[in-house]
Amino acid sequence: MTNTWALCALWVGLALAATLLAIWFKISTALSEIVVGTVAQLVIGVFLTQGGLAGNTQWITFLAGTGAIVLTFLAGAELDPAIFKTKWREAVVIGLAGFFGPFLGCTAIAHYVLHWAIMPSWLCGVALSTTSVAVVYAVMLELGFNVTEYGKAILAACFINDLGTVIALGLIFSPFTIRTLIFVVVSVVVFVVLPFLTPRFFKKYGGRVSELEAKYLLFFLFAMGALAVWAGSEAVLPAYMIGMVLAGTVGKDHSLIRRLRTLTFGLLTPFYFIRAGSFVSVPALIAAPLTLLILFAAKSTFKAVAVYPAVRVHKYDGKAGAYYTLMMSTGLTFGTISALFGLNHQIITQVQYSYIVGTVIASAVIPTLIANSFFLPHHLLPHTLKSKKSEQAVQRPVPAEEG
Amino acid sequence: MGSPVFVGIQRILVAFDASPHAEHALEVALSMAGDMKAKLFVLAVIRPPEPAESAEFHAVLEEGQERFERSFVPLRERARQKEIDLETEIVLGHPAEQIIHKAETIQASVIVMGKRSHTILHRWMLGSNSERVLRYAHCPVMIVH
Repeated sequence: MTNTWALCALWVGLALAATLLAIWFKISTALSEIVVGTVAQLVIGVFLTQGGLAGNTQWITFLAGTGAIVLTFLAGAELDPAIFKTKWREAVVIGLAGFFGPFLGCTAIAHYVLHWAIMPSWLCGVALSTTSVAVVYAVMLELGFNVTEYGKAILAACFINDLGTVIALGLIFSPFTIRTLIFVVVSVVVFVVLPFLTPRFFKKYGGRVSELEAKYLLFFLFAMGALAVWAGSEAVLPAYMIGMVLAGTVGKDHSLIRRLRTLTFGLLTPFYFIRAGSFVSVPALIAAPLTLLILFAAKSTFKAVAVYPAVRVHKYDGKAGAYYTLMMSTGLTFGTISALFGLNHQIITQVQYSYIVGTVIASAVIPTLIANSFFLPHHLLPHTLKSKKSEQAVQRPVPAEEG
Repeated sequence: MGSPVFVGIQRILVAFDASPHAEHALEVALSMAGDMKAKLFVLAVIRPPEPAESAEFHAVLEEGQERFERSFVPLRERARQKEIDLETEIVLGHPAEQIIHKAETIQASVIVMGKRSHTILHRWMLGSNSERVLRYAHCPVMIVH
């Protein structure tokens, strides 16, 4: 037991250090935790113990897995059903383009250029197909696009993009058996019933210190996660779907979402992201940096090539379309979830995992570093987004009820 | 019109991040606005973590809104007592970008902001907001130490 507490103290200490770094450098805690996990594994593995952070210890795996499930649920719960209802056509076209472009493109590059076997190549395509809803939403709030029809459509498209990733992850790598059929049927029933049952159940029994709401949600997330894994799928698939179907009810309960965030950030996600970082092999990245560059270029190119025409088809302003294409960067959460799934199921090797996670991090960090190094106020850029900004009265102040 | 710095100041924009430096800058701006009968705009910018990640981003957004709103309550009372025309706003984004944009939108006569000391590494990675505002602002910028 002493070892358990010591290991726990080490991990929480690393989480604390990562949070301080995130505060000092104004970077996301997720990114900081991944980097700290990578560095800590390298240092501890070389100088202290051979096992390093012992990321495969059962209780760490459980906490990390729970972190991924709850984080994915929260991501799904941020969907705005009203926007999705009005913009579903554009969202589906742009979102599927944003998924299939990098998914197929990166798969092809991994297979034909990097000569990876077919299954690792598919996994690579899935991991690099993701987008970051939060990055796009942050830029929209900054520019006041969140109130435009265009902005709403792009935001809904991001959810479709990530849904494509989660479904691909859940179905491609699992054999289609009777279990799959049972999983799909039960999932459909649960997704239909939950939006009706949940608000009524919460109204009758919720709002007490015993946190019934959190237990109720965790029950369904764990139960559906267990069913998904039993069927050879991935636990985050039902978690994301449950988040989406409850977005109109649970997602609007700010107090509940806040309590779930406390649980998630305070305990669960540090284990998830530090663990994800601890499996990255720095020596492998140093040995063949060209692989990283190829994957990064492929991800960026195929995303742009696929999304840009889809945006143009809907008669959105070309320059604004190009801007949002660039903004559809890879999300750390879904990118690392996909890569970890591949590593855990021995679909990819640790070296391939390192390249995929390295690319996920690079696609999240490089645009930011470039923007900071060559800072120029957006609104002073010539011939940019003004045509779209004038589409509606731009509401720049942060809206109170967004998200 | 004479010198654009001290003559004809009608709109003062204060960049506010709730730090002691910003509080100091706000004191100076309040004094200036009272003396010159100028309208005071206070802009608070919530900077999202980069890259923004879903749950954390929304948490930062909500926390920032609540924190700045709390700071604005006593400020509004002081402005009322001094009979200063005050407008507060909370936005999200890059601080320098938003300050410059707001200054142009309201045609600010002067921007007042606090000086924050950063390490070399911090400045290299993130840059200095005050330096960026100085470089791109259309109007004079007062950095309060």
